[in-house]
Amino acid sequence: MDKMRDGNSVKNTETQRHRGAQARWRAAVGSVSLCLCVFNAVITAQTKPVAERIQQCTVCHGSDGNSRVKNTPSLAGQPEFFLLNQLVLMREGVRPIEPMKPYVKDLQDSDIEAIAQYFAALEPKPSEEIPDPALMQRGAELAASLRCASCHLPDFAGRQQIPRLARQRMDYLIYSMKQFRDNTRSGADTLMSNVVAGLSDADLTALAHYSASIRSEK
Amino acid sequence: MTTKSLSRKVLVLTGLAVIMVAVAVAAQQSPPGLSPLDRTNTATSKQDTALAPHPTPPTVTPRERIPVDKIKLPTGFRAEVYSSGHPGARTMTISPRGTIFMGTRQLGRVYAVTNRDGKRDVKVLLQGLTQPNGVAFKDGALYVFAINKVTRYDDIENKLDSPGSGVDLTDKFNLPSEIHHNWKYVEFGPDGKLYVQVGANCNICEVNPGTHGQIRRYNADGSGMEIVARGVRNTVGFDWHPVSKELWFTDNGRDWAGDAGPEDELNVLGSGQEGAFFGFPYCHANGIPDPDIKKPNACAGVNMPASLIGPHSAGLGIKFYTGNMFPQNYRNVAFIARHGSWNRTQKFGFDVVIARTDGGKARIEPFMTGLVDEKTNTFLARPSYVLPLGDGSLLVSDEMNGAIYRISYGGK
Repeated sequence: MDKMRDGNSVKNTETQRHRGAQARWRAAVGSVSLCLCVFNAVITAQTKPVAERIQQCTVCHGSDGNSRVKNTPSLAGQPEFFLLNQLVLMREGVRPIEPMKPYVKDLQDSDIEAIAQYFAALEPKPSEEIPDPALMQRGAELAASLRCASCHLPDFAGRQQIPRLARQRMDYLIYSMKQFRDNTRSGADTLMSNVVAGLSDADLTALAHYSASIRSEK
Repeated sequence: MTTKSLSRKVLVLTGLAVIMVAVAVAAQQSPPGLSPLDRTNTATSKQDTALAPHPTPPTVTPRERIPVDKIKLPTGFRAEVYSSGHPGARTMTISPRGTIFMGTRQLGRVYAVTNRDGKRDVKVLLQGLTQPNGVAFKDGALYVFAINKVTRYDDIENKLDSPGSGVDLTDKFNLPSEIHHNWKYVEFGPDGKLYVQVGANCNICEVNPGTHGQIRRYNADGSGMEIVARGVRNTVGFDWHPVSKELWFTDNGRDWAGDAGPEDELNVLGSGQEGAFFGFPYCHANGIPDPDIKKPNACAGVNMPASLIGPHSAGLGIKFYTGNMFPQNYRNVAFIARHGSWNRTQKFGFDVVIARTDGGKARIEPFMTGLVDEKTNTFLARPSYVLPLGDGSLLVSDEMNGAIYRISYGGK
């Protein structure tokens, strides 16, 4: 996978920082629990308000970054750049989400970087939703014809500005894809509006069942 | 008013309402046979993780990381950072007083860059818009085209600290609602009309030629719409030749049909050719029939490009040079910023080229290079738009680093 990333790499600070952070987190895991260790690293590296902000995020997005709230996305294991980008877009009002507004309006770039780094390093876990095998099969066929893996990677772990789909909440994936299809969200690019154009609700449901439950190829 | 005349009026109004609803419904439905869906043949162009779009950093690139030292130019030219600290910088338009208004895509901001004591002062003028790539200036007013939102800000230079909500012209321009390829490029022409891009809302599909894949022109208030070019996949840069006054525009070719192209185009709309057809989706580049959407004699009646400008190179901004600073042989040449490829294994573009035009043809030569490394297949910047300044120097915006470079000429 690293080879694929290198083949398409952008030499900018974000990418380098992302890789550096990944390596640091991996090294730090050891035998200690990932969640505890990472949390400690962040509160020592950042000022207290950032830790408080992260605490606020976990109320809805899950104490380990894996959401148990309907239609609320999991953040654990999302690409760091994706989290950073979306938080900036929410702060700017480009992606207005009513419940998020009080939490993002005063965020500084440095806060956003710390929050993104924290959740990117957490382990993504499947939600309580049960994927349907028939829908997964249909979703797999659709995903191949729509070339989802070209951007989201074969294990759907996402990269850079492109989100992780694997182990995301299925209800949130459906909600999100409907927004792209119905021209109510433009995304980091407008490509998703094109990819899901004309798909039925049933198609989007099948894609969600497949994407959320795809097995990691690692 | 008698009861009879009242009921007649009600009848007429009801009839009008029915017609209006019918027209609205017809406008929403595509004509038979046309589909908004991407028609790429996925059996022949498979998934490939090396062919994904690149991210655009939404935060400030520190000054010391802006790769101005890597820029290579012909002898006698030099590059400097003109301004920075404005993430996502793309389109630029300048007022007679010298204020530069700059549009972005993802970040949703419009910046105003002014000069103060020889330094640049950068303001976030507007934010929270959906891809406000279209900016134009006329008679003291700034026109901002976001996706599905058109706003005019009158007397803007006296309101840089609080531009207000502006005059909403969205309904007047009545642009299609689809999002994809509909971040705008807009520019006032020598005829005083406002020229507006309407891209194809797909990678490759049949579009309604009356709706998508066009360049249109309007009166400044949004009235009097005319389609001046059709079959244009997605142009996000155009300018008029200083002598012939003909419209020249870049056009981004389709993706997912291989590394070789079809190549992007530099086109010219000759005078009297308003409404001409440029080939999308049936015919690409200099006469390549589309591999997925097949039609007999696909290239018959298609206006061929003045020049090809490279596979997936993403030629965006184009401006003709009429200044006095550069050597005489740069007079009336067009500078074209190539944003650089994403849907191509070996990265290509990430530079500024010049087009030497001769009638309806053009020859492309390199100008500003050094920002892509072929060996490591990486790039350092994404030149997006160009803007000649009154002193004869040339500005180049870099979306990836949120910077503007100034190119000047100091002799041998």
